Amino acid sequence: MMPSPSTMLYYVFHPNELRSIIQWKVWHNPVHERNEATECESLKRCFHFLNLTSRSFATVILELHPNLLVPVTLFYLVLRGLDTVEDDMTIPLSKKEPILRNFQDVLDQDGWNFQENGPDEKDRQLLVEFNVVIEEFKKIKPVYRDIIKDITKRMGNGMADYANNAEFNAGVNTIQDYELYCHYVAGLVGEGCTRLFVEAGLANEALLKKPELMESMGQFLQQVNITRDIKEDQDDGRRFWPKEIWSKHVDNFDDLFKPENKEKALNASSEMILTALTRADDCLYYLAGLREQSVFNFCAIPQSMAIATLEVCFQNYALFQKNVKITKGEACQLMVESTQNLQLVCEVFRRYARKIAKKNNPHDPNFLKISVTLGRIEQFIESIFPSQKPPVDNKSPASVEEAERKRKEDHEAKWDLIYMFTAVAGTVIVITFIMLFVAWLAGARFDIAYYQFKEELGKLLGYNTGPAQVTEVHVASDKSEL
Amino acid sequence: MERIPILVTGGCGFLGTAVVSALLDIQRYAITVIDINPPSLGSTTFPNDVRYVRCDVLDPATLLKTFSESRPAIVIHTVGVYPLGMKRYSMEGKEMVFEVNVEGTKNVIDASRMCGAKGIVYTSSVTVVFDELNKDFRNVDETWPTGRAGTSYGLSKAIAEDIVLSANAHDFVTCALRSAPIFGPNDTAIIPTLHSCIAAGQTPFILGTGTNFQDFVYVVNVADAHVLAVGNLLNSQTAAGETMFITNGTPVTTRDLCLAVWKEFGHVPRFQITIPEALASWMGFGAEWVSWLTSTEGLLSRGIVSDGCRDRYASILKARRVLGYAPRVSLEEGLKISCQHYQKQLNGRSKR
Repeated sequence: MMPSPSTMLYYVFHPNELRSIIQWKVWHNPVHERNEATECESLKRCFHFLNLTSRSFATVILELHPNLLVPVTLFYLVLRGLDTVEDDMTIPLSKKEPILRNFQDVLDQDGWNFQENGPDEKDRQLLVEFNVVIEEFKKIKPVYRDIIKDITKRMGNGMADYANNAEFNAGVNTIQDYELYCHYVAGLVGEGCTRLFVEAGLANEALLKKPELMESMGQFLQQVNITRDIKEDQDDGRRFWPKEIWSKHVDNFDDLFKPENKEKALNASSEMILTALTRADDCLYYLAGLREQSVFNFCAIPQSMAIATLEVCFQNYALFQKNVKITKGEACQLMVESTQNLQLVCEVFRRYARKIAKKNNPHDPNFLKISVTLGRIEQFIESIFPSQKPPVDNKSPASVEEAERKRKEDHEAKWDLIYMFTAVAGTVIVITFIMLFVAWLAGARFDIAYYQFKEELGKLLGYNTGPAQVTEVHVASDKSEL
Repeated sequence: MERIPILVTGGCGFLGTAVVSALLDIQRYAITVIDINPPSLGSTTFPNDVRYVRCDVLDPATLLKTFSESRPAIVIHTVGVYPLGMKRYSMEGKEMVFEVNVEGTKNVIDASRMCGAKGIVYTSSVTVVFDELNKDFRNVDETWPTGRAGTSYGLSKAIAEDIVLSANAHDFVTCALRSAPIFGPNDTAIIPTLHSCIAAGQTPFILGTGTNFQDFVYVVNVADAHVLAVGNLLNSQTAAGETMFITNGTPVTTRDLCLAVWKEFGHVPRFQITIPEALASWMGFGAEWVSWLTSTEGLLSRGIVSDGCRDRYASILKARRVLGYAPRVSLEEGLKISCQHYQKQLNGRSKR
């Protein structure tokens, strides 16, 4: 595909972004790759659906550790199937509800599929051929199956509750409702993934003991999406921004989109962004608990994208007019940076936190709250990767002791060295004498060797050795040979 | 229940008053306050509950007499002097500062010991570490050494803190609370100084990058920490011999704090100009000369520039862990209360 002239012009002026794209495309090696040769038909079909249904997740899922590749793929497809039933407004509630509530049982029914999605539902084909997912689901480890079923059950019931709730359909009311909704659609995914990682031995099990961290991972992503998608959702007749937030700024939700309310709309959006940002430090904390590179990449890439998305949305009125996105170059740079280590991801978070701080508007009612939240991110990063070391305390007893100990150690080290040299030298001398002794026993003539050595040395050094001496030596040697 | 006697030095000061008020809230303590300037009869907020005695920490004899009369279980020592203006950033006027902060502290420890007190809570300051000027301090904890401060205040506080902590023994327990710069209603430093920038037209200027973080603390939160420390020394004594940073736990950039304060007074700069630190420092140098020539106190100096451009924030994890300290009033809420209070004072003044 040929890029448009405007795109090309953009990259002429943003060579760094172009460099990132090239860097990612050329140099990125997947941590693990799926082995298509060993895959059966139904599994291939599952991967086909994965690529079809998820734009962003397929790349990171496909590079996952072989133990997790299939379970996570199936987890994703199962949840996507559930989502497709929930989203479809052409299915009557009476039919939808039992499917949502019992979706975990469907996973045990060989050959189950669902043909009744409306023709416009974009992922309807997945449900039409859902039997391939069930086919593969049977083959994975029972522990993974249990985790996926448990999450599916809880999410399905959560969705059914919302589908039943007429009030919710008119829009989310309180911040608590908003976070509960995000819990069902994203927080639970965080939990499911974490349990899968820990089960595979690729994440620290301590993550399960701090459930607020995995919750924040999901909440952060979902809240960023909801904040960013305001215009798209509005066009589709859906409202996810909680009334508790927007009603502080405008009387009716639709007023957010009126040009005369520009400032109010921006204030409402920064309150949404603030709500999401309070989760950022938890996300970094969570990433610190991952042990394997592919799992780290899988989790870190979406988080980096999310904070970058918050930054483009922050104080940006275009949010209410169109779909605001990060540029492709920026996305590639983020992927490069998010597939190395935690420190680099922390750098990404700090960079975007500072960009947000720079745009923070003193007129905004949440000005100081945003500032405090950004400060918390900086302090958290500083706490895991300190940029400074305390200087040596010259007066503390500990450092005096330390100095004394070091002096003693140096002293010991010196004597160790002396002993070692003595031992080596001693050994060499003893062996030399033994060899000489043995040679003498065997009849070696050291006197001749000595004279010859002296003579050669004399020649070498150019001494004018007297002929008489030489004769004498020759005589001596002649005799000796007899 | 018998009330436990507590003595607060400097109990009429900005922090001292808040500490007394927080102690009264617990309703477990009988409080004696000593101050060089006790309130005249009937003028105090707590006339019936607190005994006020005029006493100077530099007068050991009177100190001992007062202490022996009230026989406190724990002494809270908040007295300290703080040089204002340009002297803040140098060793100038060191003698007076050391006299009160160091000798005064020694006197208070001696008197406390002699009257059989169980322990002492000392109000230290983050400056014991942070006053090594021109250096950044990020997320510093209590393992950082003191005694490198380049100001009379920071150094005197560090020496006094050492004296307090080394006085810790099994029958006399001591601890130090290193408070960040304190703001609150009746604060004479932070809020009035920042407010004065508005009239001086200084608000549009950002010194340095504007991305450096600083810690502050609302007066009620520091007072809470003192009450927690008293409770700790009376019970578990896990804080004995320990020093702890006490801040609001929410570092913000210096610039944003200023903007937030100005906004409370209804002022938001219409434009912003960034002055690089090096340039600002030279301007400060010039301003110091001008104020020297005219013998007035200028609004700018190299010390102020450096103070405004550095990272200076600490971790309060130790205070959270040892004392169970948690800042009750958020930075935002505290600033709102403080600024509204100052605005009221200003309105009152202008009416007169």
